[in-house]
Amino acid sequence: MLIKKLAAAALAIAASVMPAAAQDFIAGIPRNEALIIQGPAAQNAEWFNLWAPGGGASNNGLQQLTADTFWFVNPEGTGDAAWTNALAADRPQYNDDFTEMTVPLKQGIYWSDGVEFTAEDVVYTVETQIANPGMNWSAPFTINVDSVEATDPYTVVFNLKEPNSRFHTLFTVRWNAAWIMPKHVFETVDDPLTYANNPPVSLSAYEMHSYDSAGNWVIWKLREDWERTSIGMDLESEPDVKYVVYRNAGNPDARVIEQMNHNLDVINDIAPEGMFTIARDAGENSAYWFPGYPFAHPDPTLPSVLFNHQNSKFQDKDVRWALALMIDIRAVAMGSYRGAANLAALSVPPTGTAVVDYYEPMQEWLTSFEIDTGARTIAPYDPTVAQQIAALVKPQWGDDIPDDPAQLAAMFGHGWWKQDIEAANELLEKAGLTKNGNQWLLPDGTPFTIRLMVEGDAIPTLARAGTILAQQWSMQGIQTTVDVAGPTNGQRLGAGDFEAAVYWTVETWGGHPDLSFFLESYHSDFIVEPGAVQPPRNLQRWQDERLDAIIEENRTVSFDSPEVVQLGMDYLKLAVEEMPFIPLMAYNKFAPFDTTYWTGYPSAENPYSASGPFWSNTRYMVVNLEANPNAPGAQAAQ
Amino acid sequence: MDGFPKYLLRRLLQFFLVIFLGVSGTFFITKLSPVDPVEQSLSLMTNFGATDPRAVELMRQALAELYGLQGSIFEQYLAFWGRVLRGDFGPSLSSFPTPVMSLIMSALPWTVGLLTLALIITWTLGNLLGALAGYYRTNTLLKLSGAVVMALHPVPAYIVGLVLLLVFGFIFPVLPISGGAQMNLQPGLSLDYIRSLIQHGTLPALTLVLVGIGSWFISMRSLVSNIVTDDHVVYAELGGVSSGKIFSQYVARNALLPQLTGLALSLGSVFGGAVITEFLYNYPGVGRLLIQGIYRGDYSLVLGVTTMSIVAVAVAVFIIDLIYPLIDPRVRLG
Amino acid sequence: MFKILRDLLRYNIEFTIGFVLTLAIFLFALAHFWAPLPAEAIYLLPPDMPPSAQYWLGTTSRGQDVLWQMSAAIWNTMLFGLTVTILSRLLAVAVGMLSGYLGGKWDQILMTINDTMIALPNIPILLLVYFVMRDSMSWPVLAATAALLGWNYDARLIRSVTLSLRNREFTRHAVFAGMSVPQILMRQHLPYVMPVIFFTAMNNLIWAIGLEVTLSVLGFSDINRPTIGGMIYWANQHQAIIAGIWWWIAFPIIAIVLLFLGLFLLAISVNEYIDPRSRLSRMGA
Repeated sequence: MLIKKLAAAALAIAASVMPAAAQDFIAGIPRNEALIIQGPAAQNAEWFNLWAPGGGASNNGLQQLTADTFWFVNPEGTGDAAWTNALAADRPQYNDDFTEMTVPLKQGIYWSDGVEFTAEDVVYTVETQIANPGMNWSAPFTINVDSVEATDPYTVVFNLKEPNSRFHTLFTVRWNAAWIMPKHVFETVDDPLTYANNPPVSLSAYEMHSYDSAGNWVIWKLREDWERTSIGMDLESEPDVKYVVYRNAGNPDARVIEQMNHNLDVINDIAPEGMFTIARDAGENSAYWFPGYPFAHPDPTLPSVLFNHQNSKFQDKDVRWALALMIDIRAVAMGSYRGAANLAALSVPPTGTAVVDYYEPMQEWLTSFEIDTGARTIAPYDPTVAQQIAALVKPQWGDDIPDDPAQLAAMFGHGWWKQDIEAANELLEKAGLTKNGNQWLLPDGTPFTIRLMVEGDAIPTLARAGTILAQQWSMQGIQTTVDVAGPTNGQRLGAGDFEAAVYWTVETWGGHPDLSFFLESYHSDFIVEPGAVQPPRNLQRWQDERLDAIIEENRTVSFDSPEVVQLGMDYLKLAVEEMPFIPLMAYNKFAPFDTTYWTGYPSAENPYSASGPFWSNTRYMVVNLEANPNAPGAQAAQ
Repeated sequence: MDGFPKYLLRRLLQFFLVIFLGVSGTFFITKLSPVDPVEQSLSLMTNFGATDPRAVELMRQALAELYGLQGSIFEQYLAFWGRVLRGDFGPSLSSFPTPVMSLIMSALPWTVGLLTLALIITWTLGNLLGALAGYYRTNTLLKLSGAVVMALHPVPAYIVGLVLLLVFGFIFPVLPISGGAQMNLQPGLSLDYIRSLIQHGTLPALTLVLVGIGSWFISMRSLVSNIVTDDHVVYAELGGVSSGKIFSQYVARNALLPQLTGLALSLGSVFGGAVITEFLYNYPGVGRLLIQGIYRGDYSLVLGVTTMSIVAVAVAVFIIDLIYPLIDPRVRLG
Repeated sequence: MFKILRDLLRYNIEFTIGFVLTLAIFLFALAHFWAPLPAEAIYLLPPDMPPSAQYWLGTTSRGQDVLWQMSAAIWNTMLFGLTVTILSRLLAVAVGMLSGYLGGKWDQILMTINDTMIALPNIPILLLVYFVMRDSMSWPVLAATAALLGWNYDARLIRSVTLSLRNREFTRHAVFAGMSVPQILMRQHLPYVMPVIFFTAMNNLIWAIGLEVTLSVLGFSDINRPTIGGMIYWANQHQAIIAGIWWWIAFPIIAIVLLFLGLFLLAISVNEYIDPRSRLSRMGA
């Protein structure tokens, strides 16, 4: 009896809880007015201060939807179209010796609380951050800015301490940049470092609607005066997206499930297998960067095998080249990305404008490039790698794989180094190593072993690449073990506490050929002693006089000068000869979109915005999306 | 009445000892960490933006000052005790400048709620089924349910949770698999909110129940089957007392006492299961906070959560210890 | 010893099932020494092959044979579990027997420490240790840490057995005969404690294996070493479940559940065997 009663009670409880599916997914907000984006699991959910430590990289929509600054570069764009004047009315204007930058501002832009945005906000932003050394852009302002003044409400003049032709990049958004502070809010605050800025005043088209104090979601809504923003004044009509929901959707599996249940429109990143599942099971209502295989969006970052140049094992370029020639890149591409990798032989990500500015013009040079193995001269470049990988994945993907070499190059990259064990062995012998059985010995007679560091869980594809590289080197007689550094990865890279690592030290604008974004920090002036912390990004601590010369010259030419590309090529050629690190591929991100409610997502064909929802550029996607007329509930609303 | 104060004193001593050893242990373990919080947050900050190498050096100095990591290890230890007593673990490094304590406090209700609910269900159901199974040894239904809960008992919480998530979130998507409540719903005593809480809590709680129920079942069953052969039960049976009365009055009651002690002792391991379950279901509790802290290398957060969980478990054990004499007269009499 | 085993196998069906299951899984794990390919090698086989005549349990997305992976994984997982069990048994026996035999103040002190340790939440502490050790955290270190956290329940049990032996006639004889404390404990008492050790060992083994699975699944262990938790970790890295590569996850889970079941049946049947009361009731029934 008792048992039956218990069972009945359990059933009753279960029945009252079950109809979850019948409920609105978000209470009180029509699903077809909301764009749901994968957000972070925010711990400091109540914190909306972009200018204090930890706030500068808020991926919960804060930097994407409410912040604004002078200029944006579309990392996917090419040429002039990649550049957007946001708060600034024009491109940066320097004086002849690059000691003064003048910025004309757009008029008619208002903060979401109705206060007008003026040059005073800019001056306040710079001066406040210089006065508060803990703030995010305090250090670069302190180093560069002698004084800043508002010559009129819509003109700002920066007087620099020394010539700097790249000063404007501080205010140029790729992922983020120095955002402008609301003077009228912060000037009433005692300590801008500890002020939570909750709720935040918005300078862009969306403003805060509500947030979860447990950090699982933030909802932003379209401002009523969306036209009074830099992004809004260029729009022809009101954006369809009325609400943007940044929600933490759990682990990669949960993200895929949630997208297939139409509870997550934009995914930031999942494993390739998850992407394939969505394409297979939900292909009719999803969209991707490429309409078919390889699907992925290549970020302008360059995963590479980094060598610690302060470790005696890797100081000989012949050893580094030998390790590169031992790699079968096809296996790396297959294992890490299931073939869906955009390979890079040059030390610049093969994305955006780098393809037309560098990769295409330099194919001839790459093909004729030769190295001396000590025994003979070989031409290591293999321009047919894309075709080879296409052949490997064709059995699975069939018609998704085109035959046109140009299309294949866009999907899989232009080419890579041919695996050549013989040449690698010759190079190692040339460098003074000897082989004992199946084990290479260093010139001092000790076994040549490598500890290869990967970050692990946070970037699973690179961890996967690391295990394959380790296996390939081990098979050739260089015992390689993979270390998972986890969250200590960044710190260990910085301190030089690694032998070799799979990570990136090259990031570019994507939408602009100028390489100063990373190259400036490669100058030998910044290289520190072993053990001390190397500032980003020359984590491999590569030092070369020819490199310094390129960097110094680049400082003197203006950002948009055609010389920039020439200097870029000089750098790329030097990096091929020296092989300071082995570039592998672009960081491919699998970011599928659900088209049930929204259409018009950016793609390789129409790359009007970055596809990663953590990038600030994503705002241009949000305002351009169109409501799907066939969405559930769309007819009822009309 | 000599017994009770003595009992109380012992428990109190125990309580302080647990906290002292646990907290000291965690502090010194953390100090061995290779994670440098300053470098950690620097690398978080410089990961994506354009960074001037000279600017990074300035930032490093500023952060070291902000985080207050100065003094010898003994000074830091004393300062740490001061902070524990004040309930202040400093700012979280990955969520700077939000204090670790406020992160824990906003996560704590979720964990306490989930755990309390799961524990009550587990304990009641496990003991009830176990007692019934120990008393009515031939009932097939009881045998079957016994076999199921016993088979589940040793399986790690992660695996049970994963299977539940797949079944109810993917194959038959009837229950939410992520988060603690529906989005954009104001927390409060509204019917919608409570329903949403129950829906989101069902799978995590079910995981904990399925994993936990077996051990209560097993120990209760063996306790009861031992008591059944005791003299006073045998006499009662011979004296014609009804089996229902024997079960509730003679058997179950006596067997429950040791199970209550067991409850106190199991809290630590149940909390461990909750950590994993919360992580799996993205439940906004302390466990998820802990694992996030580890992934992000946030050492003040990890230290804070570990310390607080030691203190919280010790407090819960202490409370159960205090209730115990009220139920078991033998302790009261010493 | 063999006689007991034979009796158990003959009269106790639970023991028989448990014994057969555990033995079968042990033999399966042992087979990895004859595996055709090294367990750490990846991408040597075609990935994602479903179970077939050629690959009985299919292949992983990393191009490994699930069958042979599992064999090595169970071996490593059991090795870990046994290490924890043996280490923690040594601690539990030492503390339990000393505490029970010495009694008085020593008993109080040892049991206070013991109860303190019981109240510590294991998982957060293990996670903290991992957080600190990072990639210097090898499995023996993890095993030692787990052993330090996993002995206290059983020390209490052993203590109560020793406590009852203390006042027995033969203990007094031994004392009068001039035997030292360690001698008495080792020669006179240990045989009586042995069954309890065996029983608790099974439960401890289950606990330790569960711990390994939990930590490895989260990636908090050496990912290059095949273990059951590690297999699930790599499967998750490749989103195996939603990609439909169910065999990569399902078979390790089934294997581990079977192993748990085997060990668990062994534990309860041995417990029953030790406990004279339930043995009597079984004979009477």
